[in-house]
Amino acid sequence: MLSLNEKFLIGSYKKVFFVRSQRGNPVETLFKLMLENGLIDGVLTCSEKKGKATPSLFLKANQVKVNPLNSYFGINTLLKRALQKYRLNKLAVFAPPCVFDGLNKTQYFGIGSNWTKTAVALKVGLLCTGALTENSRQLEVIHLTGEKEKVKRYFYDRANLVYQLESNREIIVPVNVHHKYILTACRYCLNMGAKGTDITYVPKKEPNEGLFIVRSERGWYTIAQVQKIAPADLKLRVSEKEETEELVSLLRDKSLLNINDILERVELGLPTPKWSDNKLRKFYRAWNSIEGNFEEEVF
Amino acid sequence: MFFKDKILNDEEPKLSIGFFHLSSCSGCQVAFLDMFEAAVEILDTVKLVYSNMLTRQKEIPYLDVAFVEGALCLEDQHHLNLIRELSEKSRIIVAIGGCSSFGGVRRLSCGNQPPQPQHQSFVPITEVELLKGKVKYAIPGCPPNSSLLYNFLLALLELNDDFLQPFEIMALSKKASGFDVIAEVVNKGLCVGCGTCSAACPTRAISFKIECAKPSFNPSICVHCGSCLASCPQSFKPYPQPTYT
Repeated sequence: MLSLNEKFLIGSYKKVFFVRSQRGNPVETLFKLMLENGLIDGVLTCSEKKGKATPSLFLKANQVKVNPLNSYFGINTLLKRALQKYRLNKLAVFAPPCVFDGLNKTQYFGIGSNWTKTAVALKVGLLCTGALTENSRQLEVIHLTGEKEKVKRYFYDRANLVYQLESNREIIVPVNVHHKYILTACRYCLNMGAKGTDITYVPKKEPNEGLFIVRSERGWYTIAQVQKIAPADLKLRVSEKEETEELVSLLRDKSLLNINDILERVELGLPTPKWSDNKLRKFYRAWNSIEGNFEEEVF
Repeated sequence: MFFKDKILNDEEPKLSIGFFHLSSCSGCQVAFLDMFEAAVEILDTVKLVYSNMLTRQKEIPYLDVAFVEGALCLEDQHHLNLIRELSEKSRIIVAIGGCSSFGGVRRLSCGNQPPQPQHQSFVPITEVELLKGKVKYAIPGCPPNSSLLYNFLLALLELNDDFLQPFEIMALSKKASGFDVIAEVVNKGLCVGCGTCSAACPTRAISFKIECAKPSFNPSICVHCGSCLASCPQSFKPYPQPTYT
Protein backbone atom coordinates (compact mmCIF):
# COMPACT_ATOMS: atom_id res chain seq x y z
CA MET A 1 0.00 0.00 0.00
CA LEU A 2 1.15 3.51 -0.69
CA SER A 3 2.91 5.31 2.11
CA LEU A 4 3.56 9.01 1.78
CA ASN A 5 6.73 8.84 3.80
CA GLU A 6 9.96 10.77 3.45
CA LYS A 7 11.47 8.13 1.14
CA PHE A 8 8.55 8.48 -1.27
CA LEU A 9 8.25 12.25 -1.10
CA ILE A 10 11.87 13.39 -1.08
CA GLY A 11 13.58 10.20 -2.28
CA SER A 12 16.93 8.74 -1.30
CA TYR A 13 19.63 11.14 -0.26
CA LYS A 14 22.99 11.13 1.41
CA LYS A 15 22.71 14.32 3.43
CA VAL A 16 20.67 17.51 3.59
CA PHE A 17 22.72 20.67 4.01
CA PHE A 18 21.61 24.16 4.92
CA VAL A 19 23.61 26.42 2.62
CA ARG A 20 24.48 30.09 2.97
CA SER A 21 26.23 31.85 0.12
CA GLN A 22 28.38 34.97 0.33
CA ARG A 23 27.76 35.77 -3.35
CA GLY A 24 23.96 35.71 -3.67
CA ASN A 25 21.84 32.74 -4.62
CA PRO A 26 23.49 29.46 -3.48
CA VAL A 27 22.88 27.66 -6.79
CA GLU A 28 24.29 30.58 -8.74
CA THR A 29 27.33 30.58 -6.47
CA LEU A 30 27.78 26.84 -6.94
CA PHE A 31 27.70 27.17 -10.73
CA LYS A 32 29.93 30.25 -10.72
CA LEU A 33 32.57 28.48 -8.65
CA MET A 34 32.37 25.39 -10.85
CA LEU A 35 32.64 27.41 -14.07
CA GLU A 36 35.55 29.48 -12.71
CA ASN A 37 37.44 26.31 -11.83
CA GLY A 38 36.67 24.33 -14.96
CA LEU A 39 34.52 21.69 -13.26
CA ILE A 40 31.78 22.41 -15.78
CA ASP A 41 31.81 24.24 -19.12
CA GLY A 42 28.24 25.52 -19.29
CA VAL A 43 25.01 25.91 -17.36
CA LEU A 44 21.64 25.19 -18.91
CA THR A 45 18.74 26.70 -16.99
CA CYS A 46 16.07 29.35 -17.14
CA SER A 47 16.65 32.97 -16.19
CA GLU A 48 14.60 36.11 -16.08
CA LYS A 49 15.08 38.45 -19.04
CA LYS A 50 12.98 41.59 -19.32
CA GLY A 51 10.53 40.21 -16.79
CA LYS A 52 10.08 36.96 -18.71
CA ALA A 53 11.37 33.51 -17.85
CA THR A 54 13.67 32.53 -20.71
CA PRO A 55 15.65 29.32 -21.27
CA SER A 56 19.32 30.27 -21.04
CA LEU A 57 22.72 28.76 -21.66
CA PHE A 58 25.55 30.35 -19.67
CA LEU A 59 29.15 29.81 -20.64
CA LYS A 60 30.77 32.43 -18.39
CA ALA A 61 30.66 32.59 -14.60
CA ASN A 62 29.72 36.26 -14.39
CA GLN A 63 26.63 35.70 -16.55
CA VAL A 64 25.03 32.95 -14.48
CA LYS A 65 21.62 33.94 -13.21
CA VAL A 66 18.77 31.63 -12.30
CA ASN A 67 15.08 32.42 -12.32
CA PRO A 68 13.84 33.46 -8.85
CA LEU A 69 10.34 32.23 -9.78
CA ASN A 70 9.23 28.70 -10.51
CA SER A 71 8.83 29.03 -14.29
CA TYR A 72 11.54 26.85 -15.77
CA PHE A 73 10.04 26.12 -19.16
CA GLY A 74 11.57 25.07 -22.47
CA ILE A 75 15.04 24.40 -21.09
CA ASN A 76 15.58 21.34 -23.26
CA THR A 77 15.06 23.42 -26.40
CA LEU A 78 18.67 24.58 -25.92
CA LEU A 79 20.17 21.08 -25.70
CA LYS A 80 21.23 20.98 -29.33
CA ARG A 81 22.77 24.42 -29.10
CA ALA A 82 24.79 23.40 -26.04
CA LEU A 83 25.98 20.05 -27.35
CA GLN A 84 26.19 20.50 -31.09
CA LYS A 85 26.91 24.19 -31.58
CA TYR A 86 29.13 24.88 -28.57
CA ARG A 87 30.32 21.26 -28.19
CA LEU A 88 30.00 21.35 -24.41
CA ASN A 89 30.82 18.10 -22.68
CA LYS A 90 30.64 19.08 -19.01
CA LEU A 91 27.23 20.65 -18.93
CA ALA A 92 25.37 21.43 -15.69
CA VAL A 93 21.59 21.58 -15.79
CA PHE A 94 19.40 23.35 -13.23
CA ALA A 95 15.70 22.63 -13.67
CA PRO A 96 12.61 21.16 -12.03
CA PRO A 97 12.18 17.36 -12.12
CA CYS A 98 9.95 17.21 -15.21
CA VAL A 99 12.65 18.77 -17.38
CA PHE A 100 14.99 16.02 -16.23
CA ASP A 101 12.48 13.44 -17.42
CA GLY A 102 12.95 14.78 -20.95
CA LEU A 103 16.70 14.97 -20.50
CA ASN A 104 16.89 11.43 -19.08
CA LYS A 105 14.92 10.09 -21.99
CA THR A 106 17.17 11.86 -24.48
CA GLN A 107 20.17 10.41 -22.66
CA TYR A 108 18.78 6.89 -22.54
CA PHE A 109 17.58 6.63 -26.15
CA GLY A 110 19.53 9.26 -28.02
CA ILE A 111 16.31 10.64 -29.55
CA GLY A 112 16.40 14.41 -29.87
CA SER A 113 19.98 15.38 -29.34
CA ASN A 114 23.14 13.44 -30.15
CA TRP A 115 25.46 12.11 -27.44
CA THR A 116 23.64 13.79 -24.54
CA LYS A 117 24.43 10.75 -22.42
CA THR A 118 28.07 11.66 -21.98
CA ALA A 119 27.75 15.45 -21.97
CA VAL A 120 25.91 16.19 -18.71
CA ALA A 121 28.25 16.62 -15.76
CA LEU A 122 25.82 17.73 -13.06
CA LYS A 123 22.07 17.74 -12.53
CA VAL A 124 20.73 20.13 -9.95
CA GLY A 125 17.00 19.75 -9.45
CA LEU A 126 14.61 22.32 -8.07
CA LEU A 127 12.13 21.19 -5.47
CA CYS A 128 8.85 21.97 -7.17
CA THR A 129 5.28 22.11 -5.93
CA GLY A 130 4.02 23.13 -9.35
CA ALA A 131 5.15 25.53 -12.06
CA LEU A 132 3.19 28.55 -13.21
CA THR A 133 3.14 30.81 -16.21
CA GLU A 134 3.34 34.56 -15.58
CA ASN A 135 -0.40 35.00 -16.18
CA SER A 136 -1.34 32.24 -13.75
CA ARG A 137 0.91 33.70 -11.09
CA GLN A 138 -0.68 37.14 -11.44
CA LEU A 139 -4.15 35.65 -11.07
CA GLU A 140 -3.02 33.61 -8.10
CA VAL A 141 -1.81 36.77 -6.37
CA ILE A 142 -5.12 38.52 -7.14
CA HIS A 143 -6.93 35.48 -5.71
CA LEU A 144 -4.91 35.70 -2.49
CA THR A 145 -4.59 39.43 -1.95
CA GLY A 146 -7.30 40.97 -4.10
CA GLU A 147 -4.66 43.20 -5.69
CA LYS A 148 -2.52 43.00 -8.77
CA GLU A 149 1.13 42.87 -7.82
CA LYS A 150 4.20 41.19 -9.29
CA VAL A 151 5.97 38.40 -7.46
CA LYS A 152 9.67 39.02 -6.86
CA ARG A 153 10.72 35.59 -5.65
CA TYR A 154 9.35 32.51 -3.96
CA PHE A 155 10.69 30.30 -1.16
CA TYR A 156 9.70 27.60 1.28
CA ASP A 157 9.39 28.50 4.94
CA ARG A 158 8.10 26.23 7.72
CA ALA A 159 6.05 23.89 5.55
CA ASN A 160 4.67 26.82 3.55
CA LEU A 161 5.14 28.12 0.06
CA VAL A 162 5.69 31.89 0.33
CA TYR A 163 5.69 34.60 -2.32
CA GLN A 164 7.68 37.77 -1.83
CA LEU A 165 5.93 40.53 -3.73
CA GLU A 166 7.51 43.58 -5.38
CA SER A 167 6.57 45.66 -2.31
CA ASN A 168 8.57 43.16 -0.18
CA ARG A 169 5.31 41.95 1.37
CA GLU A 170 5.30 38.22 1.94
CA ILE A 171 2.20 36.09 1.41
CA ILE A 172 1.70 32.46 2.28
CA VAL A 173 0.27 30.50 -0.64
CA PRO A 174 -2.04 27.72 0.58
CA VAL A 175 -1.36 24.44 -1.22
CA ASN A 176 -4.96 24.01 -2.37
CA VAL A 177 -5.00 27.50 -3.96
CA HIS A 178 -1.63 26.90 -5.60
CA HIS A 179 -2.92 23.59 -6.94
CA LYS A 180 -5.59 25.41 -8.95
CA TYR A 181 -3.20 27.74 -10.75
CA ILE A 182 -0.27 25.49 -11.66
CA LEU A 183 0.15 23.78 -15.05
CA THR A 184 -2.27 20.91 -15.56
CA ALA A 185 0.55 18.37 -15.88
CA CYS A 186 1.96 19.51 -12.51
CA ARG A 187 -1.25 18.31 -10.87
CA TYR A 188 -0.31 14.72 -11.69
CA CYS A 189 3.35 14.92 -10.73
CA LEU A 190 4.65 12.69 -7.96
CA ASN A 191 8.30 13.60 -8.21
CA MET A 192 8.26 17.00 -6.56
CA GLY A 193 11.48 16.34 -4.68
CA ALA A 194 13.45 16.05 -7.97
CA LYS A 195 14.43 12.43 -7.51
CA GLY A 196 16.93 11.35 -10.14
CA THR A 197 19.15 14.43 -9.81
CA ASP A 198 22.52 14.84 -8.13
CA ILE A 199 21.44 17.66 -5.84
CA THR A 200 18.01 19.09 -5.09
CA TYR A 201 17.82 22.78 -4.25
CA VAL A 202 15.16 24.22 -1.96
CA PRO A 203 14.97 28.05 -1.82
CA LYS A 204 14.70 29.46 1.71
CA LYS A 205 13.61 32.81 3.14
CA GLU A 206 16.85 34.73 2.66
CA PRO A 207 17.85 34.98 -1.02
CA ASN A 208 21.33 33.70 -0.21
CA GLU A 209 20.10 30.67 1.74
CA GLY A 210 18.72 27.30 0.77
CA LEU A 211 18.78 23.57 1.31
CA PHE A 212 20.93 21.22 -0.75
CA ILE A 213 19.63 17.65 -0.72
CA VAL A 214 22.69 15.74 -1.88
CA ARG A 215 21.66 12.46 -3.50
CA SER A 216 24.30 10.94 -5.70
CA GLU A 217 28.01 10.23 -5.48
CA ARG A 218 28.51 12.87 -8.17
CA GLY A 219 26.61 15.45 -6.11
CA TRP A 220 28.65 14.59 -3.04
CA TYR A 221 31.90 14.91 -4.98
CA THR A 222 30.77 18.26 -6.42
CA ILE A 223 30.02 19.71 -2.99
CA ALA A 224 33.37 18.43 -1.68
CA GLN A 225 35.24 20.01 -4.61
CA VAL A 226 33.50 23.35 -4.24
CA GLN A 227 34.14 23.37 -0.50
CA LYS A 228 37.78 22.70 -1.15
CA ILE A 229 38.04 25.52 -3.69
CA ALA A 230 36.14 28.23 -1.80
CA PRO A 231 35.03 27.23 1.69
CA ALA A 232 34.06 30.81 2.58
CA ASP A 233 31.85 31.43 -0.46
CA LEU A 234 29.46 28.59 0.19
CA LYS A 235 28.98 27.75 3.85
CA LEU A 236 27.28 24.47 4.65
CA ARG A 237 25.90 23.00 7.83
CA VAL A 238 24.00 19.77 8.25
CA SER A 239 20.33 20.63 8.18
CA GLU A 240 18.12 20.32 11.26
CA LYS A 241 15.72 17.41 11.24
CA GLU A 242 12.74 19.79 11.58
CA GLU A 243 13.64 21.50 8.29
CA THR A 244 13.32 18.21 6.41
CA GLU A 245 10.16 17.28 8.29
CA GLU A 246 8.53 20.59 7.38
CA LEU A 247 9.37 19.96 3.76
CA VAL A 248 7.94 16.45 3.91
CA SER A 249 4.74 17.82 5.45
CA LEU A 250 4.32 20.33 2.60
CA LEU A 251 5.01 17.72 -0.07
CA ARG A 252 2.58 15.30 1.59
CA ASP A 253 -0.25 17.85 1.42
CA LYS A 254 0.48 18.52 -2.22
CA SER A 255 0.85 14.83 -3.08
CA LEU A 256 -2.57 14.07 -1.65
CA LEU A 257 -4.12 16.63 -3.98
CA ASN A 258 -2.15 15.23 -6.91
CA ILE A 259 -3.10 11.62 -6.16
CA ASN A 260 -6.73 12.68 -5.96
CA ASP A 261 -6.45 14.22 -9.44
CA ILE A 262 -4.69 11.15 -10.85
CA LEU A 263 -7.44 8.89 -9.52
CA GLU A 264 -10.04 11.19 -11.01
CA ARG A 265 -8.39 10.87 -14.42
CA VAL A 266 -8.33 7.10 -14.14
CA GLU A 267 -12.00 7.11 -13.21
CA LEU A 268 -12.73 9.19 -16.31
CA GLY A 269 -10.62 6.87 -18.44
CA LEU A 270 -8.08 9.55 -19.28
CA PRO A 271 -4.36 8.82 -19.53
CA THR A 272 -2.18 9.32 -16.46
CA PRO A 273 1.32 10.70 -16.84
CA LYS A 274 3.28 7.47 -16.94
CA TRP A 275 2.22 5.56 -19.98
CA SER A 276 2.04 1.83 -19.61
CA ASP A 277 4.37 -0.86 -20.79
CA ASN A 278 6.34 1.43 -23.07
CA LYS A 279 3.34 1.47 -25.36
CA LEU A 280 2.62 4.80 -26.91
CA ARG A 281 -1.10 4.86 -26.48
CA LYS A 282 -1.81 2.82 -23.39
CA PHE A 283 -1.33 4.04 -19.89
CA TYR A 284 -0.36 3.01 -16.44
CA ARG A 285 -3.09 2.47 -13.97
CA ALA A 286 -2.97 4.92 -11.10
CA TRP A 287 -1.43 2.54 -8.61
CA ASN A 288 1.42 1.70 -10.91
CA SER A 289 1.93 5.38 -11.39
CA ILE A 290 2.20 5.92 -7.69
CA GLU A 291 4.09 2.86 -6.52
CA GLY A 292 6.58 2.78 -9.34
CA ASN A 293 7.56 6.39 -9.02
CA PHE A 294 11.00 5.84 -7.64
CA GLU A 295 13.04 7.24 -10.48
CA GLU A 296 16.36 7.55 -8.84
CA GLU A 297 18.89 6.87 -11.52
CA VAL A 298 21.27 9.65 -12.39
CA PHE A 299 22.46 9.24 -15.97
CA MET B 1 14.66 -13.68 -30.19
CA PHE B 2 15.98 -15.55 -33.21
CA PHE B 3 19.63 -14.67 -32.80
CA LYS B 4 19.72 -16.08 -29.29
CA ASP B 5 19.61 -19.51 -30.99
CA LYS B 6 22.00 -18.32 -33.64
CA ILE B 7 24.58 -17.30 -31.07
CA LEU B 8 24.22 -20.65 -29.32
CA ASN B 9 24.17 -22.88 -32.40
CA ASP B 10 25.83 -21.20 -35.36
CA GLU B 11 29.43 -21.71 -36.25
CA GLU B 12 29.77 -18.01 -36.94
CA PRO B 13 27.83 -16.24 -34.22
CA LYS B 14 28.16 -12.81 -35.83
CA LEU B 15 24.95 -11.00 -36.59
CA SER B 16 24.84 -10.23 -40.32
CA ILE B 17 23.35 -6.85 -41.10
CA GLY B 18 22.75 -4.96 -44.31
CA PHE B 19 21.81 -1.41 -45.17
CA PHE B 20 19.35 -0.83 -48.00
CA HIS B 21 18.39 2.34 -49.75
CA LEU B 22 14.96 3.15 -51.14
CA SER B 23 13.64 6.59 -51.99
CA SER B 24 15.38 8.98 -49.61
CA CYS B 25 18.18 11.48 -49.25
CA SER B 26 20.61 8.90 -47.78
CA GLY B 27 20.81 10.96 -44.59
CA CYS B 28 19.88 7.93 -42.48
CA GLN B 29 22.73 5.94 -43.95
CA VAL B 30 25.11 8.81 -43.30
CA ALA B 31 23.88 8.92 -39.68
CA PHE B 32 24.46 5.17 -39.56
CA LEU B 33 28.03 5.66 -40.77
CA ASP B 34 28.50 8.50 -38.30
CA MET B 35 28.13 6.14 -35.39
CA PHE B 36 30.83 3.78 -36.52
CA GLU B 37 33.54 5.56 -34.57
CA ALA B 38 31.64 4.58 -31.44
CA ALA B 39 30.55 1.25 -32.83
CA VAL B 40 34.07 -0.17 -33.28
CA GLU B 41 33.65 -2.03 -30.01
CA ILE B 42 30.67 -4.00 -31.33
CA LEU B 43 32.11 -4.83 -34.74
CA ASP B 44 33.35 -8.19 -33.50
CA THR B 45 29.73 -9.25 -33.02
CA VAL B 46 28.32 -7.71 -36.18
CA LYS B 47 29.10 -8.38 -39.85
CA LEU B 48 28.09 -5.79 -42.44
CA VAL B 49 27.19 -7.90 -45.47
CA TYR B 50 25.51 -5.32 -47.70
CA SER B 51 25.57 -1.56 -48.06
CA ASN B 52 25.52 0.48 -51.25
CA MET B 53 27.98 2.88 -49.65
CA LEU B 54 30.36 0.53 -47.85
CA THR B 55 30.43 -2.82 -49.64
CA ARG B 56 30.95 -3.90 -53.25
CA GLN B 57 28.44 -6.71 -52.95
CA LYS B 58 26.13 -6.75 -55.97
CA GLU B 59 23.86 -9.56 -54.88
CA ILE B 60 21.91 -9.43 -51.67
CA PRO B 61 22.97 -12.30 -49.39
CA TYR B 62 20.77 -13.91 -46.76
CA LEU B 63 21.03 -11.74 -43.68
CA ASP B 64 19.73 -11.41 -40.12
CA VAL B 65 18.81 -7.75 -39.92
CA ALA B 66 18.08 -5.47 -42.86
CA PHE B 67 18.11 -1.76 -42.09
CA VAL B 68 16.02 0.00 -44.70
CA GLU B 69 15.96 3.74 -45.30
CA GLY B 70 13.53 5.57 -47.55
CA ALA B 71 10.02 5.06 -48.82
CA LEU B 72 9.03 2.56 -51.47
CA CYS B 73 8.45 4.21 -54.84
CA LEU B 74 5.69 2.27 -56.55
CA GLU B 75 6.86 3.24 -60.04
CA ASP B 76 10.45 2.12 -59.50
CA GLN B 77 11.00 -1.50 -60.52
CA HIS B 78 14.29 -1.66 -58.60
CA HIS B 79 12.49 -0.83 -55.39
CA LEU B 80 9.83 -3.45 -55.98
CA ASN B 81 12.47 -6.09 -56.68
CA LEU B 82 14.42 -5.07 -53.60
CA ILE B 83 11.35 -5.36 -51.40
CA ARG B 84 10.64 -8.84 -52.79
CA GLU B 85 14.22 -9.90 -52.19
CA LEU B 86 14.26 -8.51 -48.66
CA SER B 87 11.08 -10.33 -47.78
CA GLU B 88 12.79 -13.60 -48.76
CA LYS B 89 16.34 -13.02 -47.60
CA SER B 90 16.14 -11.06 -44.35
CA ARG B 91 15.02 -12.40 -40.99
CA ILE B 92 13.90 -9.06 -39.64
CA ILE B 93 13.69 -5.59 -41.14
CA VAL B 94 14.27 -2.34 -39.30
CA ALA B 95 12.78 0.79 -40.86
CA ILE B 96 15.19 3.64 -40.29
CA GLY B 97 14.03 7.23 -40.34
CA GLY B 98 10.78 9.01 -41.08
CA CYS B 99 10.52 8.06 -44.80
CA SER B 100 10.61 4.30 -44.35
CA SER B 101 8.75 4.29 -41.02
CA PHE B 102 5.92 6.78 -41.49
CA GLY B 103 6.29 8.23 -44.99
CA GLY B 104 8.29 11.23 -43.86
CA VAL B 105 8.95 14.04 -46.29
CA ARG B 106 7.79 11.68 -49.08
CA ARG B 107 4.25 12.23 -47.84
CA LEU B 108 4.52 15.71 -49.35
CA SER B 109 5.76 14.52 -52.75
CA CYS B 110 3.47 14.62 -55.77
CA GLY B 111 6.06 13.50 -58.34
CA ASN B 112 6.03 14.49 -62.02
CA GLN B 113 9.39 16.17 -61.58
CA PRO B 114 12.69 15.74 -63.39
CA PRO B 115 14.82 13.65 -63.58
CA GLN B 116 12.25 10.90 -62.89
CA PRO B 117 8.78 12.33 -63.60
CA GLN B 118 7.30 8.84 -63.46
CA HIS B 119 8.15 8.57 -59.74
CA GLN B 120 4.90 9.76 -58.22
CA SER B 121 3.78 7.56 -55.33
CA PHE B 122 5.66 6.67 -52.19
CA VAL B 123 4.73 4.26 -49.41
CA PRO B 124 6.54 3.66 -46.13
CA ILE B 125 7.72 0.06 -45.84
CA THR B 126 5.68 -0.38 -42.65
CA GLU B 127 2.57 -0.25 -44.88
CA VAL B 128 3.71 -2.89 -47.36
CA GLU B 129 1.66 -6.04 -46.81
CA LEU B 130 4.41 -8.32 -48.14
CA LEU B 131 6.71 -7.19 -45.33
CA LYS B 132 4.12 -7.52 -42.54
CA GLY B 133 5.72 -9.36 -39.68
CA LYS B 134 9.18 -8.76 -41.13
CA VAL B 135 9.32 -5.05 -40.30
CA LYS B 136 9.81 -5.45 -36.61
CA TYR B 137 11.08 -2.03 -35.58
CA ALA B 138 10.74 1.53 -36.81
CA ILE B 139 13.24 4.19 -35.75
CA PRO B 140 11.92 7.77 -35.90
CA GLY B 141 13.95 10.78 -36.95
CA CYS B 142 15.01 12.74 -39.98
CA PRO B 143 17.65 11.46 -39.83
CA PRO B 144 17.74 9.49 -36.57
CA ASN B 145 20.66 10.52 -34.35
CA SER B 146 23.73 8.37 -34.68
CA SER B 147 23.69 7.88 -30.91
CA LEU B 148 20.15 6.52 -31.20
CA LEU B 149 21.24 4.10 -33.93
CA TYR B 150 24.21 3.02 -31.84
CA ASN B 151 22.03 2.48 -28.76
CA PHE B 152 19.53 0.58 -30.90
CA LEU B 153 22.17 -1.74 -32.36
CA LEU B 154 23.54 -2.33 -28.88
CA ALA B 155 20.06 -3.12 -27.57
CA LEU B 156 19.50 -5.49 -30.50
CA LEU B 157 22.69 -7.36 -29.63
CA GLU B 158 21.96 -7.40 -25.91
CA LEU B 159 18.30 -8.38 -26.49
CA ASN B 160 17.29 -5.39 -24.39
CA ASP B 161 13.50 -5.59 -24.76
CA ASP B 162 12.91 -2.53 -22.57
CA PHE B 163 14.80 -0.43 -25.05
CA LEU B 164 13.41 -2.09 -28.18
CA GLN B 165 9.73 -2.23 -27.27
CA PRO B 166 8.81 1.39 -28.13
CA PHE B 167 10.34 0.94 -31.58
CA GLU B 168 8.26 -2.19 -32.04
CA ILE B 169 5.14 -0.15 -31.28
CA MET B 170 6.26 2.58 -33.67
CA ALA B 171 6.40 0.01 -36.50
CA LEU B 172 2.63 -0.34 -36.09
CA SER B 173 2.06 3.42 -36.06
CA LYS B 174 0.53 4.92 -39.19
CA LYS B 175 0.97 8.63 -38.65
CA ALA B 176 3.72 10.71 -37.18
CA SER B 177 3.63 14.46 -36.98
CA GLY B 178 3.64 17.33 -34.53
CA PHE B 179 -0.12 16.84 -34.24
CA ASP B 180 0.65 13.68 -32.24
CA VAL B 181 2.29 15.77 -29.54
CA ILE B 182 -0.61 18.19 -29.56
CA ALA B 183 -3.27 15.46 -29.49
CA GLU B 184 -1.62 12.92 -27.21
CA VAL B 185 0.22 15.15 -24.76
CA VAL B 186 -0.84 18.82 -24.85
CA ASN B 187 -4.59 18.27 -25.31
CA LYS B 188 -4.62 15.60 -22.63
CA GLY B 189 -3.07 17.92 -20.06
CA LEU B 190 0.21 16.05 -19.82
CA CYS B 191 2.62 18.62 -21.24
CA VAL B 192 5.11 19.85 -18.62
CA GLY B 193 6.75 22.39 -20.92
CA CYS B 194 10.23 20.88 -20.93
CA GLY B 195 10.87 21.61 -24.63
CA THR B 196 12.30 18.19 -25.54
CA CYS B 197 9.95 17.86 -28.55
CA SER B 198 11.16 21.17 -29.90
CA ALA B 199 14.80 20.07 -29.54
CA ALA B 200 14.06 16.79 -31.32
CA CYS B 201 12.33 18.37 -34.31
CA PRO B 202 14.76 18.47 -37.27
CA THR B 203 12.85 21.15 -39.19
CA ARG B 204 11.85 23.46 -36.33
CA ALA B 205 8.21 22.73 -37.08
CA ILE B 206 7.77 22.66 -33.32
CA SER B 207 8.69 25.86 -31.58
CA PHE B 208 8.12 26.71 -27.96
CA LYS B 209 5.82 29.35 -26.52
CA ILE B 210 7.27 30.52 -23.23
CA GLU B 211 4.16 32.55 -22.31
CA CYS B 212 1.95 29.48 -22.15
CA ALA B 213 4.73 26.93 -21.57
CA LYS B 214 3.60 24.72 -24.43
CA PRO B 215 4.94 23.69 -27.84
CA SER B 216 3.52 25.31 -30.91
CA PHE B 217 3.25 23.34 -34.17
CA ASN B 218 3.60 24.56 -37.74
CA PRO B 219 2.29 21.73 -39.95
CA SER B 220 3.51 23.23 -43.22
CA ILE B 221 7.15 22.39 -42.43
CA CYS B 222 6.62 19.10 -40.57
CA VAL B 223 8.32 16.17 -42.33
CA HIS B 224 6.44 13.47 -40.36
CA CYS B 225 9.55 11.90 -38.89
CA GLY B 226 7.98 10.99 -35.53
CA SER B 227 10.81 12.36 -33.38
CA CYS B 228 8.67 14.75 -31.34
CA LEU B 229 6.31 12.26 -29.75
CA ALA B 230 9.06 9.67 -29.39
CA SER B 231 11.23 12.12 -27.46
CA CYS B 232 8.44 13.47 -25.22
CA PRO B 233 8.96 12.34 -21.61
CA GLN B 234 5.22 11.93 -21.24
CA SER B 235 4.84 9.51 -24.15
CA PHE B 236 6.67 6.62 -22.52
CA LYS B 237 9.16 6.40 -19.70
CA PRO B 238 11.21 3.34 -20.37
CA TYR B 239 14.44 3.94 -18.56
CA PRO B 240 15.25 1.57 -15.71
CA GLN B 241 14.84 2.77 -12.17
CA PRO B 242 17.64 1.52 -9.97
CA THR B 243 18.86 3.17 -6.81
CA TYR B 244 21.93 5.27 -6.26
CA THR B 245 25.36 3.72 -6.13
